[in-house]
Order: sequence, then structure tokens, then C-alpha cells
Amino acid sequence: MRIATLILAAGIAGVVALPAPVVAQGWKPTRPVEVVVHTGPGGGSDTLARAVASMIEKEKLVPVRLQVVNKTGGNGSVAAAYLAEKKGDVNTIGFFTGVWLTNPLVATEAKVTLRELTTVARLVLEPAVIAVKSDAPFKTMKDFIEAAKKAPGTLKQSGGSITSRDNVVRQLLQKSTGAQWAYISFPGGGERISALLGGHVNMMVIEPQEAGEHIRAGSMRVLAQIASKRLLSFPNVPLLKEAGYDVPVVPQVRGVVAPPGIPKENLDYWEGVFQKFVQTATWKKYLEDNQFEDGYQNGADLLKFVDTFSAQMSEILKDAGVKVVR
Amino acid sequence: MDIITGLWNGFAVALAPINLWWCFVGVFLGTIVGIMPGLGPPATIAMLLPLTFQMAPASAMIMLSGIYYGAKYGGSTTSILLNVPGESASVVTCLDGYQMARKGRAGAALGIAAIASFIAGTVGVLGLMLVAPPLAKFALSFSSPEYFALMVLGLAMVVLLAGRSMIKALLAMLVGLWIATMGTDLFSSTSRFTFGNMEMLDGIDFVVVAIGIFALGEVFCNMETRESAQVLPVPKGLRNLLPTMQDLKDCRFAFINGSVVGFITGVLPGAGSTIASFISYGIEKAVSKRRELFGTGVIEGVAAPEGANNSETGGALVPLLTLGIPGSGTTAILLAALVLWGFKPGPLLIQEHPDLFWGLVASMYIGNVMLLVLNLPLVPVFAQLLRLPVHILYPLIFGISIVGVYTVSSSLFDLSMLMAFGLLGYLMRKLDYPAAPMVLGLVLGDAMERALRQSLMMSQGDLTILVARPISAVMLVIAVLVLLVPVFGSLNRLRLQAIESED
Amino acid sequence: MEEKSQKTGDLWSGLALAALGVYIVVEAQHWDYLGPDGPGAGFFPLWYGIAMIVLSLALVVSSVKRARSTADTAMDWRRVMRALLVWAALVVCVAMLKLLGFVLSYALFTFMVVAVMYQRPLKSAAVIAVTSAAGFHLIFPTALGVTLPVGVFGF
Repeated sequence: MRIATLILAAGIAGVVALPAPVVAQGWKPTRPVEVVVHTGPGGGSDTLARAVASMIEKEKLVPVRLQVVNKTGGNGSVAAAYLAEKKGDVNTIGFFTGVWLTNPLVATEAKVTLRELTTVARLVLEPAVIAVKSDAPFKTMKDFIEAAKKAPGTLKQSGGSITSRDNVVRQLLQKSTGAQWAYISFPGGGERISALLGGHVNMMVIEPQEAGEHIRAGSMRVLAQIASKRLLSFPNVPLLKEAGYDVPVVPQVRGVVAPPGIPKENLDYWEGVFQKFVQTATWKKYLEDNQFEDGYQNGADLLKFVDTFSAQMSEILKDAGVKVVR
Repeated sequence: MDIITGLWNGFAVALAPINLWWCFVGVFLGTIVGIMPGLGPPATIAMLLPLTFQMAPASAMIMLSGIYYGAKYGGSTTSILLNVPGESASVVTCLDGYQMARKGRAGAALGIAAIASFIAGTVGVLGLMLVAPPLAKFALSFSSPEYFALMVLGLAMVVLLAGRSMIKALLAMLVGLWIATMGTDLFSSTSRFTFGNMEMLDGIDFVVVAIGIFALGEVFCNMETRESAQVLPVPKGLRNLLPTMQDLKDCRFAFINGSVVGFITGVLPGAGSTIASFISYGIEKAVSKRRELFGTGVIEGVAAPEGANNSETGGALVPLLTLGIPGSGTTAILLAALVLWGFKPGPLLIQEHPDLFWGLVASMYIGNVMLLVLNLPLVPVFAQLLRLPVHILYPLIFGISIVGVYTVSSSLFDLSMLMAFGLLGYLMRKLDYPAAPMVLGLVLGDAMERALRQSLMMSQGDLTILVARPISAVMLVIAVLVLLVPVFGSLNRLRLQAIESED
Repeated sequence: MEEKSQKTGDLWSGLALAALGVYIVVEAQHWDYLGPDGPGAGFFPLWYGIAMIVLSLALVVSSVKRARSTADTAMDWRRVMRALLVWAALVVCVAMLKLLGFVLSYALFTFMVVAVMYQRPLKSAAVIAVTSAAGFHLIFPTALGVTLPVGVFGF
């Protein structure tokens, strides 16, 4: 067995383009697994992937090392295309985020959707909160919506790109209430917050952890939360639904995919790993520390989610005036 | 945070052994690249930036800044010994420094350069420490119109001081704007100038452009001839490095002049350290009782510009750390670094990351002391570097450039872009197009388009928002005046004089 | 002498930039000039494209005017060819990365530069090439854990 492994390893080292080895029942990876992420070191996906890799190693769920590889560029499409090129490769997985789903909807250059890859597991849903400056006149979500109705287009929200969740939330709220306010894109989170704290915009959608810091500093107030159930850190803030706005909760989603065309045994293996992984105490603590929601779904469910999410997004983006290309 | 507690915590960060080590590495490398002609701080920082990903951001910032101000110490050595500026900011030092060396006073010139650099460098950090925190608070009231006006002012200054031909500087800047708009538009998700490449959906990495234009372009130019710049013998008798009491007395005013002028010039967007050293030399000459001796080897003619270009570092970090706006090629790369490490440059940076800001400030006090030690007694050792053969050095720079770009994205596409920008950088040098406006056009242009569109979204399409707010109105007026300078004959002569001395 | 050789350069680079400006303006027509909430994706490119056309034509005109009044000297093409040769060698080096890996391509490139461009003895060129390539391999992948392109030989 050991000799066979050695020969196999030597063979792989010698000829990189060697196709996947024949897979037997109860397959296990025998050489380091490449974990592809689309952000640079320190980016959201990179941080999560490295954290998950080290937790999996600590829990000894995989016998080999998980090596994070940064394939940046193209808003995630470079990483997705890289995975698609590795068709049938059993030693590679990737971490996707919502941008892998929305980017192909708006950019013709991005050709690979999650449908072209093998879905393995959905891991995380990131909640968010709706915040205003602490001296703003709005005490509740209703105050804000009513003010926006009275003077359409004068209130402003700072956020990310037009396809980001920030704008999606705005579109949904505007559609369901008939209120209208402006949406101003800023590339960096710091600029969005500065715009709010400087009083140049009136509202923003923000990560709970970051909002927490500014609430402690006394500079922000939270009106509602975008989550499926109330966050531990904001027990007294209503969900959008509880505040009277029953719009779909748009999740910021993260999970795992594999290259297309991998044998069923390999998919089963990876699904098994993550199924076990999400039940570990380490992972649960990590979710709590980062104020994430547990979003676990297996590959088949994730695929269904991908379809409904894409259809939903494409409609919302069309409403927002974005050209949808597929 | 109160300055005393801030500085106290800052020293706690900077005195951590690991940070002391990186500070030393930074100033040491800085001295080396300062001494080597044709290898400047922007190229070095751009090449090393990707390698800092594995370091703690505060350590990385301490090291990269160390290269930035360390190079200004090293640059004077080459100016004095070879009459060739080791880096662009030391040009003016050639005038009197080389003459002093020819008269056998190389030791005093090198000594006073290090001392002036130390004094003014320290004053610059002091200024940074005192000015940045309140300015950041004030800048919180800046909204998109003010940022737009600031970018316009910055680009106007860059163009004004960039090169002999203003048309070419403007054209270089416009090419920068073009590159800045490549990729997915933030506001509408439209793909612009991607040529159907998915790699270009999020634009061209700034590091690729910076390394291509600064490092590769420069080296291609240097490789045109087989001969390396002629290395003159390093004059002996460097034992007597300490200037005499009379020298110090002659330089009293130069120390103050260099410190103040350097800092103020640094804070202004677009002016940069070369301009700072020129202005301070000009002032020194104007007020001197022995005006006619300037250019024949007077010691204050070395102290003033060397002081100014070091004090400028502290000044240049002010807009970078308070507004997130770079004023020069080097600070543009430091801005890219901050973003890559996950910081959000802007008025909240100091408040949210006091460790980074105060750690950097404290490390700069320490770094200046290290540099004084490195550049006073050890200058003869560093001077030997001028003998390293170029046929070893240049291939190494190519290698580091390739590695630097590859580490950012592991992408062969980015390497092919690097080749394209290397060629562009070379052609720009050959055809006399200045590089700085292009790189700043790339950095500021992106932010400028955003600020303009944000402003007009806020005002629902009303252009008067740009002039109705007092701060932005004032800055726009200054920007227009700046661009009108070449129209007025006498002022234009001054401008040309400033640029002439750079060549 | 440098001053004189600028004119042809100005003429051709001005024309090239004018063409780029036209291209930018044409492309900008495909994008919204004004979006629902303010200026659109085509707003900014259109204006800097126009500025580029105007300025580059001004450069062309001024270079033509100068050409009449002073004699033009050609660029020193031998020097330019030398620089371009180094560039071409570097392009080949980068193109070979996928096949040969960083260490081998870089060693070959360094050997070429030292032996051909600087005409050092072949032996010292080989020594420099091997040492610097090995140095890169030891510092980056081995010591710092940075990945470099790996070729078919596995390094």
C-alpha cells in the first residue's frame, strides 16, 4: 500500500497532467487537496477557506493537507473557470460566494455558473442589519420608509455595487412599500460607513459585527435585521418581517463546489466530510464568533437553491435596471 | 485618542522585536535602493508588496515605509559621490554635494546630508503625528463633491509639475484614466474595455501596472547600452564624516527651512519630494548672504534639499492616512498595499486602526535613528554597492518583478500584462511621456469618476453641487489656477526651472 | 540631440493616442451616458476620450510645426533594438513559464542576458544564471512558501 502510494505520488510529480487515478469504493484523497478561492490573501473567501481548512485538519476529517490557492480576478469568474477546466479532477475543491451566482448573470465574459460545476455543500449564510446614524430622526424601520415615501428620491443609502445584496434589499423594500430612495455605490466598506457617519447618506446595510463596533462607540443605530432569526448580539432588534416588511430574506451565501464530472464516489466523500464538519463544535463556535448563520445544505439541495436564487436575482436585477445577460 | 497615549501604544507596537526587525529591514533596503541609481522606492515597494501578504499588516507597513524614507537617505550618497542622483528626490543634492566632494569635503557633505535628513525626517514625523488625527476628523465632513475636487486638484498639480510638455503629461494622465475604467463598472455592472477577457472583469491589477512602468521600463532603458554608469573612485578620507561647528552653524536655517518646506510640500497632493527639495534649495539660496557661491559646494546647499526630501515623507503620509488619497507614485503603491491588507483607507482609518497609525509613527522615529547610524559611520560600506555589476543586478530585478506579480494572483495572464506595461513604460521614457501622471491617473481617476458620479447621484443630476459647497468650490478654483500657470510667462519660467533641475 | 529626435516620436505617438481616443469614444457610445440615478457608465469615458483626441491632435500639430523649423535626427535605433531585444527575451521567458517552470526559464533568460547582451564569458554567464535561479528557488518557494510557476519537470 505504502509503495503504491509512493509510486503514485512519484508519477503525479513527474507528469502533472496525469488524469485522476482510478477511484475505488471508500475513496480518500492521497495528495494535498487544492482549495480554490477567488479573493486574494485576507479576502472574505480566503479567510473562510483557510479557517475551514485548519478546522478540518484539526478534526482529522481529511487525511491530507488542504492547500488554499488564490485565483483572483474577474469577480470570481477566473476561479470558477479554473475549476471548470479541472474537469474530473478529484483533488480540487473551491469556495464560492454569492458573486459566483450573480456575476454570470450580468457579465457575458463570465461563462461558468455553479450549474457547470459540482455543488458539494452550502455552509454559511451571512446576516446583515440595517443601520442609520445615531442622531438620525428614524427610530424604527417604519419611520425611514414613511420618510422615503413623503419625499421620494431624497433619502440616500450607501452600499456596494449595484448587484450587491445592499441594493437587492433596497429593491425589494422599494417594490413592496412603494417608497423610493437613492442608492449610492462606494467600493470600500470604509467609504460606505464614512458616508453614513459623515451624514452624507441616511442609511446602509452593514455586517452585524461591524455595526456592533459603531453601536458601542455610540455612532450608529440599528433599525432591523436581515436574517432568518434574531441574532444573539441583537436580541431587541426586529427582523424585517417582524417590523412589518415581509420581503424575501436575501442570503449572502458561502459554500463548497468541486470541478464538473467527478465520479460519484468522490462527491459522496466530500459531501460526507462537510456533513460531519458542520456538526463539529469547532465549526459551531466559529459561526457564533463571526455571527454567521448555519446554512448547511447538501449538494443536491444546494443545486436547487442555486436555481431558485438565480431566477430570483435575475428578476430583482432587471427591476433595478441592470442588463441581465443570461 | 490623545497623542500621548497614542504614541505610548505606538511605541509598544514599534518596539516589539518583530517590528523592530522589519523596521530595520525596511530602512536597510531603503538605503540600498536609494544608493542604486535606477532603482527607486516605487519600483522596490511595488516588487516587494506581494511578499508582505504573510506579514502582520502593521509590520508590513512599517517595513514598506522604511524603504520609502530610507531611500531618501541613501540617495544623497550617490548624488555626492557620483553626481548622479541615486533616486529622483536627491537631484538637487548633486549641485553642491558633488562640488563639495570634488573639493575633498565628501565626508562633510555625506555627514550633513545624514544629519539634515535625520532632523527634518523627525520633524516630518512630528508633523504627521500632530496634523493627521485632527485632519482625519475634519475630513469626515468631506463628501463626494469634496473628494472630487481634491482629485481634480491633485491631478492638476501632477500635470503641472510632471514634465517639460504639459500636453504629454495630460495625455499620460488620460491613458491612466482609461486603464482605470477597465473592468466592471461599480454603478451599473457594465463591463468596460475588457476585450471579452474574463480576467479583466475586475480591471488590471495596480501592482502589475506599477511594476511594469516603474521597474521594467526603467531597466529596459538602462539596458540600452552595455556600459554601466561610470563608477568614480570613492574618495578616501571619509573618516572625518562629522561636519565642523562652522558647518552646523551655516546650516541652522537650512534645517528649519528643509523641515518646514518639505512637510508642507508633502501634504499638498501631487508635488512630491523632488519639488520639495527644489523649493527648499531655492529658498535657501534666496535668503543666503553668499548666494553667488551656491553650486560651488556650499554645505547648506546640501542640507536644505536633503532635509526637505525627508520631511516630505511625513507630509505625504498625511493625505494617504487621513483621506486615502495618494499624492505620489510611492504613496499610490502604499495605498494599494493598505487595501490589499484589508484596511479601508479614509477618515476612519486612524480611529479604527490606532495600532497601525501610531505604530507606524513610532517606527518612523525609530527608523530615522537607525538610518542616522546606518548612514553616518557605515556610508563607506554602502558606497561599495555602486560597484555591483549591472549584468547581475538587472536580471535580478526582472526576476523579482515576475515573482512579485505572480504572487498577487498566480496568473500567467497578469504576467503577460506585465510584459505589455514594461514595454509601455520603456516607450514612455523614450518618447518623453512622464510616468507619474499615468500612474496617478490610474489611481485617482478611478476614485474621481466615482466621486463625480456619487455627487451627481446625491444632487439628482444637479452639477451645481460641485461648486455650491465651499470647500470643494475653493479647491476647484485652485485647480483651475494651477492649470493656468503655464499661461503666465514668468510663473511658467519658474515651473520649467523646477522641472529642468529634475533631468 | 535628444530634443530633436522627439519630433517624429511626438508625431507617431500623437497619432496613436488619437486613434486610442477615437476607439474610446466609439466604445463609450455602447454604454449609457445617463443612468436612472445619475451619470452612466459611458459618461466619463466619453469625456476623457474626447479630451484625448483633442490633446493628441494638438501634439501632432505642434510636432509638424516644429518639424518645418528644425532638422530632425533619427533615434539611435541600435540602442532601441537592444532594449527591445531584452524585452523580447523576457517575453519568451514568461511564455515558457508554463512549460519549463520558473527556475529553468529564468536561468535561461539570465544566461542569455549575461552572455549575449553583456558579452561575458559563457562560463561566468552560466554560473550567474544557475546561482540566481537557485537563489530564487531557495528564497521564494522553499523559505517563504510562495508558489512559482512549475513546469513539466516538476520544479
